[in-house]
Amino acid sequence: MKIRRIVVRLEPRPAGLEALAQLAEELQAELLALFVENADLLHLAALPFAREVGFPSAIRRSLDSAAMERSLQALAAELRRVCDAALGASSVKWSFRVARGSPAAALAAAAAESGAATLLVPSGADPRAAPVVVALPQLTEALLRELLEGKRPILIPEAAP
Amino acid sequence: MGPVDTSPAIDMPAPLAAGELCRRCDPAQFAFASTAELPDLEGVLGQPRAVSAIEFGVGIRREGYNLFAMGPAGIGRHTVVRRHLESQAQAQATPADWCYVYNFETPHKPRALRLPAGRANAFRAAMERLVEDLRAAIPAAFETDEYRTRRQEIESELNARQEKALEAIGARAKEQGISLLRTPAGFGFAPVREEKVISPGEWSELPEDEQKRLEALIEVLQGELERAIHEMPKWRREALRRLRELARQVTQAAVTGLIEELKAEYAAEPQLQAYLAAVQEDVLEHVEAFRHTKDGETPALFGIPLPQPDAAEPLRRYAVNVLIEHSQARGAPIVYEDNPANDALVGRIEHISQMGALVTDFTLIKAGALHRANGGYLLLDALKVLTQPFAWEALKRSLRSREIRIQSLGQALGLVSTVSLEPEPVPLQVKVVLVGERLLYYLLHAYDPEFAELFKVAVDFEEDMARGPESDLAYARAIAMLARAEKLRPLEREAVAAVIERLSRDAGDAEKVSASMRTLADLLRESDYWAGIAGRAVISGADVRRAVDTQIERADRVRERLQEHILRGSVLIDSSGSRAGQVNALAVLQLGGFSFGTPHRVTARARLGTGRVLDIERESELGGPIHSKGVLILSGYLAGRYAAGKPLSVSASLVFEQSYGGVEGDSASSAELYALLSALAEAPIRQSLAVTGSVNQHGDVQAIGGVNQKIEGFFDVCRARGLTGTQGVLIPQANVKNLMLRHDVVAAVAAGKFAVYPVRTVDEGIALLTGEPAAAIHARIERRLSEYAEEARAWRQQK
Repeated sequence: MKIRRIVVRLEPRPAGLEALAQLAEELQAELLALFVENADLLHLAALPFAREVGFPSAIRRSLDSAAMERSLQALAAELRRVCDAALGASSVKWSFRVARGSPAAALAAAAAESGAATLLVPSGADPRAAPVVVALPQLTEALLRELLEGKRPILIPEAAP
Repeated sequence: MGPVDTSPAIDMPAPLAAGELCRRCDPAQFAFASTAELPDLEGVLGQPRAVSAIEFGVGIRREGYNLFAMGPAGIGRHTVVRRHLESQAQAQATPADWCYVYNFETPHKPRALRLPAGRANAFRAAMERLVEDLRAAIPAAFETDEYRTRRQEIESELNARQEKALEAIGARAKEQGISLLRTPAGFGFAPVREEKVISPGEWSELPEDEQKRLEALIEVLQGELERAIHEMPKWRREALRRLRELARQVTQAAVTGLIEELKAEYAAEPQLQAYLAAVQEDVLEHVEAFRHTKDGETPALFGIPLPQPDAAEPLRRYAVNVLIEHSQARGAPIVYEDNPANDALVGRIEHISQMGALVTDFTLIKAGALHRANGGYLLLDALKVLTQPFAWEALKRSLRSREIRIQSLGQALGLVSTVSLEPEPVPLQVKVVLVGERLLYYLLHAYDPEFAELFKVAVDFEEDMARGPESDLAYARAIAMLARAEKLRPLEREAVAAVIERLSRDAGDAEKVSASMRTLADLLRESDYWAGIAGRAVISGADVRRAVDTQIERADRVRERLQEHILRGSVLIDSSGSRAGQVNALAVLQLGGFSFGTPHRVTARARLGTGRVLDIERESELGGPIHSKGVLILSGYLAGRYAAGKPLSVSASLVFEQSYGGVEGDSASSAELYALLSALAEAPIRQSLAVTGSVNQHGDVQAIGGVNQKIEGFFDVCRARGLTGTQGVLIPQANVKNLMLRHDVVAAVAAGKFAVYPVRTVDEGIALLTGEPAAAIHARIERRLSEYAEEARAWRQQK
């Protein structure tokens, strides 16, 4: 089975982009770097009592939607820069995308897009680790959320014609 | 018969014979044909006192026995001192090398390391090699599987610990329907419904009690999270410590092995052992610096750059700054510092500009003359040391404390406030030889109490030395040696004789010869030039005389102008006839290195008065103190000679006619006395004679300086007007031994056309000048003074 796409979820301070690029190059697959603006965070910021505990400062700050929007946008811009720096020089066909909603839903949607065999790489997971194989129809959001916790890649085989 | 009647009846001195006017150096006394045959002179010519002082000063190994070589410039002080030092230094031990190295305990106080002579460079190279080896060995140790695995263990453990703490809080939150969310800058808690964070709409629909409960719950969870996060830096520090320990463990074998090798090489040097042990400890503490330089990346832990010992060049601290080394030297060093400024003596700390600031470190410490001369000898010009700001104090401080402490002048005076160092002082053992004028020695002795303590050996050079057959030959050998050293033609014996005569004239003494090596060398070089012009292979007597004549010719423009003024009558000087109260005195003018004599008219007028002799030069502030003293002595002579039992009722005035500059010295006091006596006795003085000599209150004529120039000055005027045979000069008898007159003067005296009279007393002089016996002159003066006294008494009675 030929993997055609690799979808990676990006989080702050992504590591191992070069290794992913190398893998994509070896497989001749295209690489999609996906940043999900987590809907949960936007909801949290919209709550009247919303607070954030800074890390590593441990300072408590109040949150609001506008500030959260701005920081997510800034983070997206930063991640795009990081991807440019890490992947710009490689020969791999790659793209960067920002989605909004639940991370699992966004990843599942990205995986389902082309119908080709897709490797989903959770943030910080080793892309060469043995993947969990799940057929697209079985890939519910709840299952995907659970799988993402496992830090293993998830292989979605090519959809049956 | 001389030009003047000198019959014993009137007690006049006889003129000197031509042979007494210049002591010839007979070339026939020399057995050699030219100086090429003469061996070099062993030892030093005519300076036995100075030589024995140098030998003593160099030999005595006690504190404060430094030398001060004094005497006029050009006498050969530097050459003689250096020659002696060289002969001593060869046999002495070569001193130790000195390095400055980093002080790991107190970085701003670099340590001074002493190494055996000539080994400093090898030690520096060994340290450079060590650093190179460490730069290979340490990164290699970090590449080992052992290090990587254990490092990963530590990092994973820390991550796991942090994750675990967060997960525990997340789990507790989840149990209560609350989710822990990672925000871009930290964490937040929010109530969840169906695995999703509750939306603001859903929140507002919740009953108020439920809202309060959830808020309180979240408040508690936030507190827990805060406490957990506060713990994390501690874990991180702990991990860092373990990582450092790990780095130390994996590199220890490599580092210790390399440094132990070096320690074994320098086993005999305890100071180096201690330094190398400190290096070993420091390397193990800062192994990351070696990785950095190897990889070209800043070492980091968890993405945070590690602190570096010196961000710019971390390994510079292991460099060795060789301050002074003697690998090429044999024996003790002899150093002459031409520019003895403070920094040039004690060394300096240089700075380099870094991002607009001036910074320095131990590698920028530079040696001074004292470092270079340490263990040997340092020659300095006293005047130069004294004229350089604070150099004298720095030199004394170093000699007193017997250590060289580098302190920048700007720093010491607070003029600059850049970061600087306090290098460890280097022990000092040096013999300093100051070379300077005598005046400086005596001034320092009088005004600087430390000087006598620090410069106990005075090396006093003579300006001249005795003449005699033996010394003439020694002088000839010195000439031969100098001619060879200067690559000049050899000198014929006539030329040697001419040189000796010239230098005897320079000494101003027929029984002496000048010891000025500079004058001698100049004369030889110029004689060699003229021999070359004449196409001779050997310098002849004529070449030496030509060199002397051309020296004078180049310098005597002013003398010629003055003589021209006399001959044209602008300056009134008679050389024939007689006149009362007027005498030709003689003065010497010194311009640059050239001195010449010229006649001056001195006149006196006398009248009834109160015994005061008025010195017009002094009244007009043109006379110097010695001149004034000479004139006051005249009052003493007059009072003692003529008015022992009665008041001296005369006033007289004395003047140097047509003198518009200052007059100093007492060599004209006899001339002034003759003018005064002539005025009082109304006895005309022969203007064909000129006079020089000072007098005392008893009327004895005393020696003066520049007698040759003075005689020649009057001779030149007389010759220009035509020598009559009656012209001559009166000189003090005591100056006869100083006569080294020009050949033309001697020839004129031999031909009876000019005379030089040696005079002992004023009586002899006045008799020569007036042609009358002194007793007759004195009798007339006494008569005159008695008349004045009578008149004075009459005046007082009238009043």
